[in-house]
Amino acid sequence: MLSMIPKKRELRVKETILRGVYEDNLRIIGKQPDTITWKIPFFLKRMFLFFSIALLTILGHGNYLNLTLFPESQMTASPVTQKYYPQSVEPTISPLEYKALLSSHGIPLSRMFGLEVKTIMIDPGHGGSDSGTTGKMGTKEKDITLDIAKRLREQLKKYGHFNVLMTREQDITLPLNQRVELARSSRADLFISIHLNYLPSKPINIIETYYFGPSSDAKTLKLAEQENAGSQYGLSDFKEIIEKIGETLKLQESKGLAASIQKNLFLNSKKQNGNIHNFGIKRAPFVVLLGVDVPAVLAEVSCLSNKEEEIELNTESHRENIARYLKAGILDYLNKGEVSYEAKRDAEGR
Amino acid sequence: MKQKETQKEDNILFVGIDLGTSRSSISASNNTREWVESYVGWPKDFISLQVVGKPVLFGSEALKNRLSLDMCRPLEHGVIKEGIEKSEEAVKEIIKHLIELAKPAPEQKIHAVVGVPADTLKVNKLAIRKAVSEFAHSLMVVSEPFAVAYGMNLLNNALVIDIGAGTTDFCIMHGTIPSEEDQKTILTAGDYIDEQLYSYLTEKYPNSKFNKNMVRQFKEQYSFVRETPGDICVEIPVDGKPVMHDIKNEIKRACESILPAIIETTTEMIARFDPEFQVKIKNNIVLAGGGSLINGIREYLQDALKEYGPCNVRCVEDPLFAGSNGALKLAQDMPTKYWEPL
Repeated sequence: MLSMIPKKRELRVKETILRGVYEDNLRIIGKQPDTITWKIPFFLKRMFLFFSIALLTILGHGNYLNLTLFPESQMTASPVTQKYYPQSVEPTISPLEYKALLSSHGIPLSRMFGLEVKTIMIDPGHGGSDSGTTGKMGTKEKDITLDIAKRLREQLKKYGHFNVLMTREQDITLPLNQRVELARSSRADLFISIHLNYLPSKPINIIETYYFGPSSDAKTLKLAEQENAGSQYGLSDFKEIIEKIGETLKLQESKGLAASIQKNLFLNSKKQNGNIHNFGIKRAPFVVLLGVDVPAVLAEVSCLSNKEEEIELNTESHRENIARYLKAGILDYLNKGEVSYEAKRDAEGR
Repeated sequence: MKQKETQKEDNILFVGIDLGTSRSSISASNNTREWVESYVGWPKDFISLQVVGKPVLFGSEALKNRLSLDMCRPLEHGVIKEGIEKSEEAVKEIIKHLIELAKPAPEQKIHAVVGVPADTLKVNKLAIRKAVSEFAHSLMVVSEPFAVAYGMNLLNNALVIDIGAGTTDFCIMHGTIPSEEDQKTILTAGDYIDEQLYSYLTEKYPNSKFNKNMVRQFKEQYSFVRETPGDICVEIPVDGKPVMHDIKNEIKRACESILPAIIETTTEMIARFDPEFQVKIKNNIVLAGGGSLINGIREYLQDALKEYGPCNVRCVEDPLFAGSNGALKLAQDMPTKYWEPL
């Protein structure tokens, strides 16, 4: 008899699991579990019909039995108006809070606002009639950047969380302004432009990452200070404040993204090739970075003037590895401290 | 009434399918068990069609004739690449082929449960539904490690680690259908070993000609961690001449390269539970997938995890069919009322 109890429990667990599988699959096809057509007894249907009619009668005569169903103010306003115009128009954040917000440069603003990265735009440099640089063996920058970009897209897509787009998927000429426009129109949250370096005078291999921003970090702080200098902000200033926050956010995030990508690219590439040089992250007025409103970086992932590197760039595994290091850099940046194993492993060069 | 139900059941063929990156398998209620390497190849042109004699080839046959074919490994990264027509077409072909191998009787309805990598989200499950729906009357998609767990009756306090080709999937069972938090996927799996082995061998023997297929075969034949008796030597052409190469150290390094990530993810996942459950789960860890065949991996993981308290790791008996058998069991246990709306 006692042995029956665990069996019953096991059966119950099984039933729960089977129902769970079923409900999960209903959700996949866009149905809700409640839409199952259970057989409802006839008397229940009759009761349901009776109560429905009674409810409709009450709703149709708001003052029936002298019951007030809705407050007077709500009955006079249209539902649409109520939905889009909240009763209170007072600002919920005080100017002092703005000051704190803008001066807390230790914490990225994106985190403060709980902003998520949903769409990542990858920009393979050059293309079409613009080959970019060409190596001694005839390797063209535009071909390598496109291949790495495609690999990066596939790798990021595996995570399922991101909508990963590319400015070009073929060997086509695409002016910079169109690349910027693509990033804007697709509402990209991150923009990563992939390029290869060329140093004709030095037979070395370097890695460097650029981001667009004001000349120094102090300026970022000043920007925050300026915005908080006045003790009172009116609602009319709100738009401007938001715009400034946007600029600060872009700068912070672009720098963070550039640092993360540079770190992952360099440390991992160094593991494969000891002669590689770290040129770090830099600010530069690239048009493609200026035009995009969101965090944007331009990564020079390798150096085509170096012959050994050009040979490596012609192997699939090397291009796959570069894409993996870029992915690790992006994930590392997105996790912000909660580093994924892959990112951590790649960053540590294990 | 019972007779009527039996008749109804007879008219249904339940199938469990494990869609893997490297191999896909099917287990059916008519006792058929079949598998195919997850490669699909279409003749490149009219001449190729004349040479291979078939409009589409699968698995090892496709690999053998790969020079005449447009090859596709549709689940290369553990998920269908939605929007890439060729990949979707290849998945369809694999499913069709597997169902044909299960030999359903004419007019027999097919109720299928398909196991897919754990980390696939809605869009991927939908892509698989799209690919399968042509060939099945009713269909459910579940995660691969969950199918393995169900098949082994590991419904409570267990952890399944499915080391596949593209991904290693983790799934904790605690008496209910695993949620997103109970499942995790990492990319260090069989393909990662292949990549590492390829780079180690190329580094050690720069003049020898390797390809990825050869490297995969070396791995499948000789994989081990820690120690294994004897040498591992393989014949590889150098300037057209076959030359023996010692690859023991490279095999060991490549196989062991996936272990730190697996250990770290295992401990992370278990740590989320109450200490009482942690002990239970640690004593019920099951390795599945092709990776569970690596010589010495069970012992290695068990010893490594013992640092965090006593634990017991075991391997599934039949990694090739563990997923499809579990999916079949799910299909057979599923009440009829649940099949109908799907």
